[in-house]
Amino acid sequence: MRKLKVALLFLVALMLLSAVAPVAAQELELWAFVNTHARWFREQAERYAEEVNPDFSLNVVEIAYGDLHDRLLISIQSGGVGAPDIADVEQGRFGSFLRGGGDPGFVELNALLDEGGHTENLVAARQALYTSKGSVYGIEHALTPVVLYYRADVWEGAGFDPGEFVTWDDFVEAGRAIVAENPDVIPLHIHGGLHELLLRQQGHDYFNADGDVTIDSAESIALMDWLLELKDEGVAGDPPTGDALWAAFKDGTLISMVGADWYGGFFKDNAPELSGKWKAAPLPAFEEGGRRTSVWGGTGAMVVKTSDHVEEALSFLEFSMLSIEGNVRRFELTTLWPPYIPAMANERLHAADEYFSGQDLGAVFADVGPEAPPQWQSPFRSQLNGLRTAAWQDVIDGNRSPEEVFTEIADTIRDEMEFES
Amino acid sequence: MFGRGRKIAPYLFISPFFLGYAIFFLYPVIQSLQLSFYRQVGLTNPPRFIGFDNYIRLVSKDALFIKALTNTTYYALGSILIIVPLALLLALILHSPKLRFREFFRFLYFTPNITAGVVVGIIFGLVFEEQYGLINNLLLAPLGLENVRWLREARWIMPAVILLGAWKWTGINAIYFMVGLQNIPPELKEAARVDGATRWQVFWHVTLPLLRPILAFVLTIAIIGSYNLFAEPAILVGMEGGPNNAGMTMTMYLYARGFRELKMGYASAIGYSLAVIILVLSVVQLVLIRAFRED
Repeated sequence: MRKLKVALLFLVALMLLSAVAPVAAQELELWAFVNTHARWFREQAERYAEEVNPDFSLNVVEIAYGDLHDRLLISIQSGGVGAPDIADVEQGRFGSFLRGGGDPGFVELNALLDEGGHTENLVAARQALYTSKGSVYGIEHALTPVVLYYRADVWEGAGFDPGEFVTWDDFVEAGRAIVAENPDVIPLHIHGGLHELLLRQQGHDYFNADGDVTIDSAESIALMDWLLELKDEGVAGDPPTGDALWAAFKDGTLISMVGADWYGGFFKDNAPELSGKWKAAPLPAFEEGGRRTSVWGGTGAMVVKTSDHVEEALSFLEFSMLSIEGNVRRFELTTLWPPYIPAMANERLHAADEYFSGQDLGAVFADVGPEAPPQWQSPFRSQLNGLRTAAWQDVIDGNRSPEEVFTEIADTIRDEMEFES
Repeated sequence: MFGRGRKIAPYLFISPFFLGYAIFFLYPVIQSLQLSFYRQVGLTNPPRFIGFDNYIRLVSKDALFIKALTNTTYYALGSILIIVPLALLLALILHSPKLRFREFFRFLYFTPNITAGVVVGIIFGLVFEEQYGLINNLLLAPLGLENVRWLREARWIMPAVILLGAWKWTGINAIYFMVGLQNIPPELKEAARVDGATRWQVFWHVTLPLLRPILAFVLTIAIIGSYNLFAEPAILVGMEGGPNNAGMTMTMYLYARGFRELKMGYASAIGYSLAVIILVLSVVQLVLIRAFRED
């Protein structure tokens, strides 16, 4: 019995000790799903510790795209168990957090953005992606302007300058000539996001401003039909996915990429050996004088409500994401074009980029940035993307018509909306 | 005092397991049964009672659920008709007394089973890759066969998953069968041979009937395992099951609805449907091979 008492006393002492142990360093956890963002966050955290709070440290955890969002949803739903303090949430998955119309579990940023005078410094169309019923939950990382990345050595070697293309017709004509010379090359590859971003270039989208699903609009179907025609001609093609995609870039099968600013960083990380061979140009327009860009992707940094360090997290985000230095550094490290207007004019955004043949990559983004079209958030976007992904190969292979598939997807989503209303 | 302690002590000793079981298994199981009669969508919305609506929607309006069920059944059939016979064959070969390095082979066949599903999925993603993959380049190309678009064409996805399943599960099933074979007294076979039975007759009339308890076990495990298939196809073709959802299994569908769209009520209904299907199939299978018959 005495032994038991001693043991109990020991236990109580231990608990007391751990309870009053000094909270020395503030360690916050941040989840990111791409190494480009993670790299920048780590650097910003060091800078923040040096300049603002020496006790601050940030544990940047890299989690695969799908897993990050799934785990975040579950941990928020279970009251914050295992949740990080800060998380990157991709716009395509943010809708899941809004499903059912409830509180998404993130700290509302309106006060920070309004009182700090940041709201008018951020591009409103991008912030709209992380806004629901007037509450802003995220700060956008990138304007995501879409440009035409191209293998300068290949196109220029064949006598074309994609920087001079005005319309998609110019692109297609040049593409035909290149394929005639070398049938193994794919001038335009129809990646999973191409239809969506070209649709936005035309001013449409899968959802409209009212939240109605519009993937089955006449414009959407016509655009997909056009892409399939190009594929039949051999100008466009179906690229491999995953690691094989990078193999196809490296072996010269793929000679262009219609991608957003963040794709520049992907190139550098995944195909470093192609340094000096790429360039970027504004997108060809659908008609002369038309819009020369689109938006694709985008990720918002958010503070999880259950965090014990909300104030510190907000302060860190303000320091890194709402400052000229933070935004400029992000571009330098990752090629993400700032959605933060005061940073856009910074001359460091216009340094010669070795990977892109010494080009001023920032000038291309700055040129097309103001034309960037809006994109509308929907709680059903993630589900729509899932349905579209599943049907994609059938459409590409010509087994089912775009009209049939897009109508089916839209009807499924409308039925879901009704079931949940 | 002493007497009462003695009565309570054993229960205290075994209580951790039962407490854990109750909290982490029994409670969620009961809770999800209740939840399957509710509509609960999103992070913070209160659940709303809707009776059997979730179940009705599942079977009457949800084409993806039916698709997931069909896909999973496809895999289960492959598992039962291909993997189990293959395992039996392998066991018969390994059981042969003439075989050398038998222990080594047993070890070899066991290793896939202890490799994590995610790792297997990633490696097989490379194996099945269309242009640069192992199977197309090293197996099909030398035979003059065209590249198969394993993970891109809906009709090839499940065969690819079954191939993966064969790699992963044949070995361990063969080991179960070997245990069964070792327990069959050699006298029985010898007696049959003396009576003039051919090798095939010995196998069909002596070995196989005596293997029945093992066969029942292997088949039950195969059915349960098949209907719980998750990690490998999820990694191979993505959580939505790839082209035409051809690789979407029922557990993946449950995961997608529950954890991606946060429809916990609906996902619970999927879970219970799955449990009922497995239960029915297992019982049918046990009755069919007369596992309960007294010998």
